[in-house]
Amino acid sequence: MAKTYWMKITILNGNPYEDNKTFESYLDEVALALDDLGLDVITVTLRDKNIHSCTGCWGCWVKNPGECSIPDDSGEIRDKIIHSDLIIFASPLIMGFTSALLKILQDKLIPLLHPYLEIVNNEIHHQKRYDQYPGLALLFQPEPETDDEDIQIVTDIYHRFSINFKSELLFSKSVETPIEKLVNEIIHYQR
Amino acid sequence: MKLSIINGSPRGKGSNSKILTDQFRKGFCSVESHCDIREYFIKSATYSELINALESSDFAIIIFPLYTDAMPGIVKRFFEEFTNYHLKNHKLKLGFIVQSGFPEAIHSRYLEKYLDKLAKRLEIDYLGTAIKGGIEGIKIQPKWMTRKTMEMFYDLGQHMALDWELNNEIIKRLSTPELLSRFFIFMYRVIGKLGFTNFYWDQQLKKNNAFGNRFAQPYSKP
Repeated sequence: MAKTYWMKITILNGNPYEDNKTFESYLDEVALALDDLGLDVITVTLRDKNIHSCTGCWGCWVKNPGECSIPDDSGEIRDKIIHSDLIIFASPLIMGFTSALLKILQDKLIPLLHPYLEIVNNEIHHQKRYDQYPGLALLFQPEPETDDEDIQIVTDIYHRFSINFKSELLFSKSVETPIEKLVNEIIHYQR
Repeated sequence: MKLSIINGSPRGKGSNSKILTDQFRKGFCSVESHCDIREYFIKSATYSELINALESSDFAIIIFPLYTDAMPGIVKRFFEEFTNYHLKNHKLKLGFIVQSGFPEAIHSRYLEKYLDKLAKRLEIDYLGTAIKGGIEGIKIQPKWMTRKTMEMFYDLGQHMALDWELNNEIIKRLSTPELLSRFFIFMYRVIGKLGFTNFYWDQQLKKNNAFGNRFAQPYSKP
């Protein structure tokens, strides 16, 4: 087993298109390479899950704290997430941002946070609900027209999300990154 | 001139975005005798209705709350419609209003860059993005607490009818504070120690008999 900070990694596959084989193969190979190193890797293919959009009811904060009021598959994913060391948000960029499929799931992570607010680095942010949160990473497939500005925008937004998620964005990389290089970097990141 | 407002709040007609839109409409209608504003809700409209609204308007504003530091998932899904459909209405001018519960505008600034780029992708003129924080809770706040916000959205609508733009000066006023002042931080900490900063949430937790369970960790292993 490789010596690494990360033991349990969850990959959230936000690719809505089953026929996007380039993306699917890349994720499969990354998961396999990490698995070969002895890490516990789970890939959640979101298009195979039943995830209802957040309705903004705040039931997860004021009725049944910590749990979404809508019964769907997001509960099992939140469970996996909070018990992971690293979450990789993986998605093709569509109209310059990660997929709606992934964003809908991301909205359903709100129950993992507390509605109460606090000041962090001179900004207002939500308080944590759990003692520990996983590190976050972004793995994206560029569109033909993707430029550096697009990559900066999506990276910045995920960086901001990581602050609210009581975590940090460890990397934002394209699926054009050689797998060996990516895997080598993943096992050497530390928080 | 035709103006469409597309509301992307997951709460639809019961949203805070709708309250702000109503103020905008009042301001707009105080000038425009025809008052031709059409309103759509992403939550309930079909994508063809929304696209038709953009195709047949001179101006459009998409308003939504900030969700996990970006647009709500349902808004992103609407944006993805444009991978298959290319807008033919190149005279359309598109603006955005992003509201959030956080008091400072900084939280929405990163999304603003995305929205600017989105308008470029769609090859349409960008009217700008108005950012307003501190909106969660406006439904239950007394009028004196929301008066300033309501006036600003009224003014934004009024100037839209007068100049057909999202007035930069009003956008600037809406986005205040950009960052928290030292005084705010000091006061927030003082008030926080007294427990008053949680009033809005505590009130609802108590109403739902969930206050005692507010720190629940349903996914913690025993």
